Amino acid sequence: MQENILEMTGITMQFPGVKALDNVNFSLRAGEIHSLLGENGAGKSTLIKCLTGVNHMDAGKILLDGREIRPSSPREAIEEGISTVFQEVNLCPNLSVAENIFVGRQPMKHGQINWHEINSRASELMSRFHLDIDVTRPLSYYSTAIQQMTSIARAVDIQAKILILDEPTSSLDENEVQLLFNVMRDLKSEGIGIIFITHFLDQIYAVSDRMTILRNGHLVGTYDINELSKVELVTKMVGKDMDVIFNLKRADVKPDAEYMLKAEHIGDASHINDISITLKKGELIGFAGLLGSGRTETAEMLFGASKTVKGDIYLDGEKLTLNQPFDAIKANIAFCPEDRKRDGIIGDLSIRENIMLAVQSRKGFMKPMTFQEQTDLANKYIKLLGIATPDCEKKAGELSGGNQQKVILARWMAAQPKVLILDEPTRGIDIGAKAEIQRLMLEMCGSGVSVIFISSELDEIIRCSNRIIIMRDREKVAEVDGENCTQQDILKIIAEGAA
Amino acid sequence: MRKNALSGLMQSKVTWAVIAELLILLVCFVIRPDFFSISYQPSTGMLYGSLIDIINRSAEITIISMGMTLVIALGGTDLSVGALVAVAGAIALKFLRWDVLTYTTPGDYTVYPYVLVLVVPLVVCALMGLFNGFLVAKGGIQPIIATLILMVCGRGVAQILTDGKQFTTGYSPFRVIGQGSFLYLPMPIIITIIVVVAVALFTRKTAFGAFVESVGVNRSASRLSGIKAGTVILIVFMITGLLSGIAGLIYSSRIMSNDSNNAGLNFEMDAILAVVIGGTNMAGGRFSLAGTVIGSLIIRTIVTFVYYFGIVSEATMAFKALIIAVVIVLQSEPVREYFARRARRSEAA
Amino acid sequence: MKKQSLLTRITNPKYIMVYATIMIFLVIYAFGAFMYADKGFMTVRTFVNLFIDNAYYGISAVGMTMVLITGGIDLSVGAVASLTGMFIAYGTSVLGLHPLTCIAAALVMGVGLGLLMGWVIHYLNVPAFITTLTGMFFARGVCSLISRESIDIHHPMIDSLASWKIYLMKFSNGSWVKIKPIAFINFNVLLFVIMIIIGTFILQKTRFGRNIYAIGGNEQSAALMGLPVGRTKVLVYGFNGLCSVLAGLSYALYVKSGWNLSLQGGELEVITCAVIGGTLLTGGVGYMIGTLFGVLLKSVIPALITFNGNLLSWWGKIATGLLLLLFICIQSFVVSSSSRKNK
Repeated sequence: MQENILEMTGITMQFPGVKALDNVNFSLRAGEIHSLLGENGAGKSTLIKCLTGVNHMDAGKILLDGREIRPSSPREAIEEGISTVFQEVNLCPNLSVAENIFVGRQPMKHGQINWHEINSRASELMSRFHLDIDVTRPLSYYSTAIQQMTSIARAVDIQAKILILDEPTSSLDENEVQLLFNVMRDLKSEGIGIIFITHFLDQIYAVSDRMTILRNGHLVGTYDINELSKVELVTKMVGKDMDVIFNLKRADVKPDAEYMLKAEHIGDASHINDISITLKKGELIGFAGLLGSGRTETAEMLFGASKTVKGDIYLDGEKLTLNQPFDAIKANIAFCPEDRKRDGIIGDLSIRENIMLAVQSRKGFMKPMTFQEQTDLANKYIKLLGIATPDCEKKAGELSGGNQQKVILARWMAAQPKVLILDEPTRGIDIGAKAEIQRLMLEMCGSGVSVIFISSELDEIIRCSNRIIIMRDREKVAEVDGENCTQQDILKIIAEGAA
Repeated sequence: MRKNALSGLMQSKVTWAVIAELLILLVCFVIRPDFFSISYQPSTGMLYGSLIDIINRSAEITIISMGMTLVIALGGTDLSVGALVAVAGAIALKFLRWDVLTYTTPGDYTVYPYVLVLVVPLVVCALMGLFNGFLVAKGGIQPIIATLILMVCGRGVAQILTDGKQFTTGYSPFRVIGQGSFLYLPMPIIITIIVVVAVALFTRKTAFGAFVESVGVNRSASRLSGIKAGTVILIVFMITGLLSGIAGLIYSSRIMSNDSNNAGLNFEMDAILAVVIGGTNMAGGRFSLAGTVIGSLIIRTIVTFVYYFGIVSEATMAFKALIIAVVIVLQSEPVREYFARRARRSEAA
Repeated sequence: MKKQSLLTRITNPKYIMVYATIMIFLVIYAFGAFMYADKGFMTVRTFVNLFIDNAYYGISAVGMTMVLITGGIDLSVGAVASLTGMFIAYGTSVLGLHPLTCIAAALVMGVGLGLLMGWVIHYLNVPAFITTLTGMFFARGVCSLISRESIDIHHPMIDSLASWKIYLMKFSNGSWVKIKPIAFINFNVLLFVIMIIIGTFILQKTRFGRNIYAIGGNEQSAALMGLPVGRTKVLVYGFNGLCSVLAGLSYALYVKSGWNLSLQGGELEVITCAVIGGTLLTGGVGYMIGTLFGVLLKSVIPALITFNGNLLSWWGKIATGLLLLLFICIQSFVVSSSSRKNK
């Protein structure tokens, strides 16, 4: 039995209205990879933020090497030997890759920064990840994957006692993930304790020694990796059986249903060349494919968010000209964007205003809804979707991720669309809320709305879709029937291209 | 879970602005007990008194800051308003006097129809506002830089229009704008009231205000919700330009002259201050027109207040700065949170 | 390690704005040389005069560039410089103090005000625009409290400092002679150049300088990377206060008087210099060498107008405005094209 280098006991953290962490214990041994698991809002990130001094805990004790520490800023945590890769890329886009790795701890020579050493050491570090890039270019010049690698390189190079990786793999491809795992194993053999947070269950089993599960701010337990099967693990994370949650029925499309939306050979200015889609009334089609396969770009064209330069789009038999989202909304097309925070929720405004926005913008600002109309509309959908809020005047930004997603869904349901496009509506929200959003989606199909559902999670798509369109390298490569296909079939098409 | 009233009130910036204004007025009253007295002057048909004077003298800033409130709610700032005040004055005087060599002495006449004297400056200022809006909405340029352009060259334009000369006029209908009266009140107050009511109705009785706030918080999400964000930005900057034009007419009517160098000098600063003191966040989002009016009054009251101490006019700036510093520190997030926490605690107890 | 050739280092996209500034300066200068060569636009004297007549803006622009790189702004610089002039003028001419005492007092005042404003901006979370605007009102007001009249400066030390100059020489016929028309470098130019060098050193060669860039790039990230964000911001405003005081000293030497309304609007001139020098007002981007050429570019316009003789001075404002427009368009083009590569 190795010794614990980190011991957190009785950690409690209160946010206004919620207890984010309630008496949580966590320990980390030297030379182990310890996964921290739980759904969104379970308290993983909050626990990390307490440890790294971003948040200040209300109660509890942190022992590092047997000595009590109480970091009050990320700076102090780093000085104590805790190095972190935070969830979203947290680097400076204007600085070079090399500098992002070394800023704040640059090697000095004669009282000056030794740029030569910075650049050569950075190149070395990046080549450890098999990246042969010009490290003197600004970070913003490179892809998200390289940016993520850069932040990992920085954290690794700090030579800390504890390395925390909070969702480091979200934008890495399979090879890059393997490289990262190799580096993690190396560090582990050097006796560094690693805390690893991820949503991908396979990765947990591939690399960790132990895991700790949190649920709703409470500790569920700490287990050896062999102790739990995947199903047991998910059950512990969710607190319910999976089958019970996902008891959904596919939309029932009449064979003679008319076509609601038809896109013929559409293409945009840069990525998409030729895509055709048909969508029947009350039908749900899924878009499957990897990130960057053209799913989002196609959806944006159908919504007028990016310009269609070739091909035609017909709605209910009528040809549409979509220059801006407003035109699509006028034509009763709705779109839930992928990045909820950036493109969806308007955080500082109330739930009421967020819900009424699409209805109001279709009317134009000269025909305002009265306050009472807005409140009635908001309350109707708060009730219908079960949005957890005391009243409709709460700021939308203060809601949890799942509830924010419901507010955006409410915005579009209120606009009573004929076609609803949902881009990753279930990303980053917990399984319970996921199931509910899928249920709502299917209910809308039942009431005659046609839905396009984009998701990275294949099981979701297969569970809900009537038809599945598979995209690869910005092309539509196949269209399969939702009822008679398996995850394996789709994966094969995504990987190999042929139908 | 109801939000409790006291801590909510303590957290509101407008509350602090009102308290500050009342405190300053109270001190004025203690120093000069006749501070609140208002008298009627039959010869001019106007009411006189310190309060009237404060509102009258704050007219230009209040009018401009109505537009500035919307610009700041969008998350921007408009630096060009002061220069536009100078442009409006220059155009008006140009039309009143046209060619100074022919019309050598100022008198009670206008060379071009009075309608042009009033309308052209407003149209030009609105167009200049539109130019700002165009750079911001279509060019994707930060408002503070986009408006810096007209701030730098606006006064140059004003000087070219008048050949760098300062015209004066004696045309009495023009005098009415800045020095006349209506319903016993000085004309600038009447114009201010009309402008404030018009802007308030336009933003709050239509959905325009909500759209401005929405774009100010999250432009991309607003666009994807169907709001024509570009149009909203264009309208807001155009309104601000137009209001600067109105303020410019009032200003030049007060001095019955144009002054391309000093007309509207630092107005952009005062207007931005008024908006911020009034509780609108410079990062954009929620705005309060009522707060802005109070902010503008605070700035003017401070000047009057310092004047009562017998301090020379330019030095009022130092005291203005000190009082504003106190107001701003009291309004700052950490301080408000501190008071709100204390209020919560005392309510819990 | 991949070998860095000089070419790839020079073509690094981060320098585009600086190149644009230098290019446009050269074009305008060449234009002046072509049009007014007969009037002596090409002489060394004209070129050196660009420095002499604008050194005080340049000195202030050094500090301003740093403030802008952090993503902040400082509107108080003109007023603080003016106040420095008042300190020196009132101190030496009315109170009979030694100028060094006055300068020391001005330094305490300027740096202190800068640090205070930085503290309010960071720790009380008040927007920089509002904080420094209040600072500007305060400094301007104190100027007027000291005196509302212009005060001449008469002091042997100031006089000798102001008249100190190095003549530019050339070697001809076996001996050094002054070049004709006579050109010289004075204390202000020296101070300007030294400040640019110090600024460059701080920004490029110290951790403090790199922290400034990091904060401008993304303040939240900088904090998460463990950089001392608060301390850096406060010190940057303090350093800018120092630059304002030195600019005020330089202006006092230039006009040899103190006036409460001097350098009104100077803050915007300084910001304009930095912006046309390639500094982004959004923060994170800017170079001292760019600022140097920004100052020269901005000062070459009035020089051209003087040489023309027929144009009135307000064309200078319009030309500066157009120049700003041009640069902003280039910047927004550069920014949008570099972010497009990301996708």
